[in-house]
Amino acid sequence: MKRQTVRFTINGEARELAVYPNDLLLNVLRDQESLTGTKYGCGIGECGACTVQVDGAPTLSCLKLAVSVDGCKVVTIEGLAKGNQLDPVQEAFLDNSAVQCGFCTPGMVMMGRALLDEKPRPTEQEVRDHMRGSLCRCTGYASIVRAIMVAGEKAELS
Amino acid sequence: MQTRTKLNTIGRNTHRKDGIGKVTGTEQYASDVSVPRAWYGGVLRSPHAHARIASIDTSAAEALGAVCLTFADVPRVKYNERTNCAPPHLYRDRYVLDDTARHVGEAVAAVAAPTRALAEKALRAIKVEYEVLPAMLCAADALKDGAPKIHETILYRGKETPIEHNVAVTRLIEVGDIEKGFAEADSIIEREFEAAPVYHAQMETKSVVCKPAVDGSITVWATTQSIHNTRQLLAEIYGLPLHKINVKKIAIGGTFGSSIQMNSVVPICVGLAIKSGRPVKIATTREEDMYDHCRYQVRITLKLGFKADGTLVAGHMKTTVELGAHNTQGYHFLGVIAGFWVSLYKLPNMKYEGTAVYTNRTPSCAMQGFGAPQATFVTEVIMDEIAELLGRDPVEYKLTQYRGLGDTFWGQGPTVKSIILSDGVPELLEVGAKKIGWDGRPVPGTQTGRFRRGIGMARSFHCSGVGQPRKTGAEMIDYSGAIVKLNEDGSIDYIQSLMDHGGGTCEAIAKLVAEEIGVPLSMVGISDVDTNTTVYDITTHATRGVFAGGAAALKAAKSVKAKILDYASQLLDIMSESLVIEPSEELGQGVIYCPGYPEKRMTLGELAKYLHVNSWGTIAAVESLHPVTAPPAYVTYFVEVEVDTETGVVKTLAAALGSDCGTVVNPGLAAGQLTGGLSKGAGCALIEAHQWDRQTGELASKGFWVDGKTLSILETPLLENLHIDFAHTYEPTGPFGAKGIGEASINPALAAYSNAIYNALGIRFREVPITAEKILAALSTKKVRRTQPAQRELVNS
Repeated sequence: MKRQTVRFTINGEARELAVYPNDLLLNVLRDQESLTGTKYGCGIGECGACTVQVDGAPTLSCLKLAVSVDGCKVVTIEGLAKGNQLDPVQEAFLDNSAVQCGFCTPGMVMMGRALLDEKPRPTEQEVRDHMRGSLCRCTGYASIVRAIMVAGEKAELS
Repeated sequence: MQTRTKLNTIGRNTHRKDGIGKVTGTEQYASDVSVPRAWYGGVLRSPHAHARIASIDTSAAEALGAVCLTFADVPRVKYNERTNCAPPHLYRDRYVLDDTARHVGEAVAAVAAPTRALAEKALRAIKVEYEVLPAMLCAADALKDGAPKIHETILYRGKETPIEHNVAVTRLIEVGDIEKGFAEADSIIEREFEAAPVYHAQMETKSVVCKPAVDGSITVWATTQSIHNTRQLLAEIYGLPLHKINVKKIAIGGTFGSSIQMNSVVPICVGLAIKSGRPVKIATTREEDMYDHCRYQVRITLKLGFKADGTLVAGHMKTTVELGAHNTQGYHFLGVIAGFWVSLYKLPNMKYEGTAVYTNRTPSCAMQGFGAPQATFVTEVIMDEIAELLGRDPVEYKLTQYRGLGDTFWGQGPTVKSIILSDGVPELLEVGAKKIGWDGRPVPGTQTGRFRRGIGMARSFHCSGVGQPRKTGAEMIDYSGAIVKLNEDGSIDYIQSLMDHGGGTCEAIAKLVAEEIGVPLSMVGISDVDTNTTVYDITTHATRGVFAGGAAALKAAKSVKAKILDYASQLLDIMSESLVIEPSEELGQGVIYCPGYPEKRMTLGELAKYLHVNSWGTIAAVESLHPVTAPPAYVTYFVEVEVDTETGVVKTLAAALGSDCGTVVNPGLAAGQLTGGLSKGAGCALIEAHQWDRQTGELASKGFWVDGKTLSILETPLLENLHIDFAHTYEPTGPFGAKGIGEASINPALAAYSNAIYNALGIRFREVPITAEKILAALSTKKVRRTQPAQRELVNS
């Protein structure tokens, strides 16, 4: 198997990487780019821990071939804050004690951000529907639901 | 009792110190660690439930450039991967790699290679000839006369000891005289229960990195709840002095008990690193993880005798526990079921008979609650039934019988006894009943529509650690250490090997330290540490983190504070007893002053700098502490469910959860413990079961999470229907009055759901999970039974 060149941006930086045709985006991000905030939880799209944004759409990086993001804009959890300024979703997770072990947190935050981009003031049921593919075993989800709703409310107020 | 009126830091919601790393993706877990020149490790796993390795040929894998490890390459040291029990109670039955596989998924060989792809290729190139042996996939098969042995002998108290009938361990515990007790009873009730094994489903799969050095020392990053126990066990296996093994403290992605033991991949990775002379990393797959560990399968028969006024007089419990292929902690598990059972309600006469059996399945280990969920399930469902038989409100009845203030409490088994000094149960039951609408609950069996609602209640507790007053003879090792030091600018380093599973344990302890010394929380740092730079801490388990680990750090903080005041006394010319330290958010410092002499003041930073520039030295303290109590962290559950009688699906409509954790240190995170407990507990009550194919020993889920489903965000109650309350208590033996909370938060779930479903349908379920299939089957049976006379529930003696 031969490596192929793939060009895309990661968190705004242009990258040109040599990847195998069967390399998963998850592994390329973690192993080649040292962006380990994107987590392996199951490898087959069951848990949501590996969620990143590809051209603005939340995407399970464990189900995405790296060659398929050629020409795309990829944003990982490391790219969400603007310098030291946290994204309102990140801030709301801290404010609402929505972070426990933290292993699901990157995926949860990426999903929450994608929802608020689409729908700035979601209802509780809309939050739950949107987040249904992301598993958390620590929180029982209540604080996560609250954090995403609060992030939406705060953004509207500001 | 409240001994402090003003708290500056404890009880405030703050941004947890490790939170910024977690929300920005920069927090490192074991699988995130990268070391230059590291190779990828992989493990070859048995496809058979029981097989002897007739031959193993790694030459083709080695020809690909991989380094291979088989049982011939690792020290033949038999060990128990969980070393929390004192050595007389350790049952050693496993090797790093063995010549026999005892469950599907057990490690047979391992490889390390420069790339992930090559490691996978090398694993496939290993040729193994198995001599397949008969597999015992349930306790009944394993206990049969003449059943093949899963272990011929195990290492126990220094001797190879034969195992008979696959019984790993038994326990008999008796208090009083049950024959006399049952003779005095007006009524006796006897019921059988079963709780299925459950997969922990922690988000992070088990991972490890090992870096060897030329002097023979190793550095290890591992998913573990105890860096010191991991270090000790690696030393035991590989014959290294402890100082040559440095295990790093690193974030863990949830464990729920699954990493109390040193995980099986840890010594494999170390073996690969030593053999290859290179750093090696193993990150297990979800499938491997699901074959690695689960909660014990438990069958319990409980017989209770009681007087006409409801007073319990005698109890007899028989328990059969399936251990799986290895006895990680069977002795202790049998003991805690007894301990939790008799500590729920006053029982003057009891007999407990427990048997733990080997089977050819995934090894069981502790999971949140460790015996308490099962003991509570049995007890709280029977108590609900007794209350009904007596025509009494279960809440009112239980309050007359439970072990509360002033009563003796066993906690984790018969050697862990103490007197209960704080008790929030009456308060929590009152508030929970009100919030759930307890008085308006339906009469069981009276509803007829498709959707039937029910409210169930259960109460439980977990002991805060396993502390006890005896100087020797404890079953469990239980102490923590901590270092606290004052830096040259007045900030504090809090240094402890204790692990934080995510519940906020280290955050809470940083608050205890800040509160004690009198500095703003922003001036306390939680140090990145390892085994070489910390003193011993047993493990973050048994709901002991804040109570026991926090107490050790508090002891060190008190020592530091005494030294600070001693120096300040000299500099301010004020008796040290007259000085206080209070945090000033404005100055961002602790301020030392004498009330009444306001001019006599200095900041902690000024003091620290004075000590530094004048070479007076560093103020620091190292302390170690063994708690002498293990107070009950009570939790109460009220749940309202809706049962769909056409599909059998149970929906949680509302829940009122109460916790008596003494002083609440991190309110938001403590509430998160309860909501997390409800979610996992509801999963165990309704859907989760780790099931094996009876022929092959393979997991029915095949190791896929969707088929071994856990509850999602759609299956937990809406925020407005979720009520969390904390009791207003103060534990005199806890740091600033705090007790534990973690495990307690799941313990009542099984019983609360069983009681709620009974309330909705009028049918008792004594096997969990109470799946949709079981509900539909019971409903169809009940239709047939409806014409028969009601079964007499009581045997009058």
